[in-house]
Amino acid sequence: MSTIKEYLTEDHQRCDHLFAAMEEKAGTSLQGAKEAYTEFVNETERHYQMEERVMFAEFEAKTGMTQGPTAMMRHEHVQMRQLMKQMGEALEANNKDKFFGLSETLMMLLQQHNMKEEQMLYTMAQQHLSAESDRIVAMMESMIVE
Amino acid sequence: MNFNGLSIEQAPPISAPLRFYLTAPLFAIIAGFLILFSDTTVLMSRYSIDSIIITHALTIGFLSFIMLGSLSQMLPVLAGVVIPKVDVVTKASHGLLVLGTVFMLLGLSYDNSLFNTISILGLGTGFLIIIGVISIAIAKVQNFTATVKAMATSLFFVFFIVLMGLFLLYSYIDDSYAYLRPLIANIHSVWAIFGFGGILIIGVSFQVLPMFYVAPKFKQFCKKKVVLLISIGLFMWLGLNLFYDSYSLVAKAWIALFFWAFATTVWKKLSARRRPISDTTVWYWRSSSIFLTLGSFLWIFDEYFKNEYIVMVAILIGGGFIMSIMIGMLYKVIPFLVWFHLNGMGYMNIPTINEMINKKLAKTQFILFIASLIGFIFAFYYPMLLKISAISFILSMIILEYNIIAPVLIYRKTKKTKPDFDMNAFTTF
Repeated sequence: MSTIKEYLTEDHQRCDHLFAAMEEKAGTSLQGAKEAYTEFVNETERHYQMEERVMFAEFEAKTGMTQGPTAMMRHEHVQMRQLMKQMGEALEANNKDKFFGLSETLMMLLQQHNMKEEQMLYTMAQQHLSAESDRIVAMMESMIVE
Repeated sequence: MNFNGLSIEQAPPISAPLRFYLTAPLFAIIAGFLILFSDTTVLMSRYSIDSIIITHALTIGFLSFIMLGSLSQMLPVLAGVVIPKVDVVTKASHGLLVLGTVFMLLGLSYDNSLFNTISILGLGTGFLIIIGVISIAIAKVQNFTATVKAMATSLFFVFFIVLMGLFLLYSYIDDSYAYLRPLIANIHSVWAIFGFGGILIIGVSFQVLPMFYVAPKFKQFCKKKVVLLISIGLFMWLGLNLFYDSYSLVAKAWIALFFWAFATTVWKKLSARRRPISDTTVWYWRSSSIFLTLGSFLWIFDEYFKNEYIVMVAILIGGGFIMSIMIGMLYKVIPFLVWFHLNGMGYMNIPTINEMINKKLAKTQFILFIASLIGFIFAFYYPMLLKISAISFILSMIILEYNIIAPVLIYRKTKKTKPDFDMNAFTTF
């Protein structure tokens, strides 16, 4: 089974590819990109919840750090959810400039967020939670999105 | 493990990188005017004082400013460490470097020992403070990725480049060392272009290309070995250059081969990227890949022409490769920094990244810049092209300065007018 770090890093890449597919569709027609947008948003939301409800929670319980890095990552999740919501509104309004302006902003935020997680938080989580790694990955895999 | 890099409060203040970014094009504009009032025949010699002045307005004033600004900004994200006292360090280092660069340009122009002495003090302390502090930060990195290794390697080279540069500047005060100038200047310039600029760009592109363009990842061989192999090449070249100069071509070919391979890899990765968008930053990556390929080959062939084309090599690699990538990345980084800092303060209704820099102006800046580089190269054969190319270069740098100022003004205006400050943004977690 993958480690926590491998599992979540691969999931970042999967979401990146969904993002790229959405942009490609949107380049042709915003209306035709709705399905790809929904898939990207759902899968990204799933990723955030895997972190917030499973991995972050386990990390916080183990280390006692609730106001540390996980709090900052949660805050960035909020920022990105906000951008994704605005992208949906731009999609509905058929406003291509707005949509691509938001998607570019989201992409930058997403990537620096991912870098910080992969560089620091996942490495740290793997160190603290290595004994429970398999259990945590299994929990993330079987989690149902709320 | 240090988590400071994860927090906006601990992230470098936006003024730390912006200070360097805002100054850089001003030095390029000065360089442009110096070219405009120079003679082609003087510029064809790398050792003419005019060439040295113009080169350093660009390499110190433009390139190193952008690289240092970016390093201070990127370390927390790419390496997970914070630069100690980043605000004080960047302020002091920036001030000293501006002072040192200005006095270097004046000191060399007027052959004034006092100016050159001030310049040595300014550049010496300015560079060593920031290099030292960044090195201390990098020493604390726990997860040593290929990018961090490349950053550390480029800092190693820049340390020696600065020492050599200071010695060269001193040789204009004390003439008894002037005989060493060609030898040291040659090492100084090759290590600066390939060891500092080249390796830093390669290291950062390992991260940036796959992430921002969803391009295929670099192969493990590239990430693990290329920086080491280039460094070996640079040391091999140093040894051959000092003791067996007739064989230095072997090391040049070694170094050029890896940079050409890098240029080709960048081109291929961009072609295979998953994100379809094609903006000015993508064009800059593309153009830098072409210029680097041409420059690498010309650098080797130049050996057969008694360094007749070395200035052309400098234009292709220094301007076409390194400057291109720096400008391209500024277009990505500055709007994001403005957005990120404003959003982090709780402002929700702010322009998106794409709305901060006028796309047409960015495109115009790109065209003028590339046209000026091509013009500079052909000015070797058609000297009348020099003036028009210099004008094109100056215009491109004025537009670049404007394109950097525009997002900064949005930042200042938003902070001043507080359109929709929303504290709820902080209570959701």
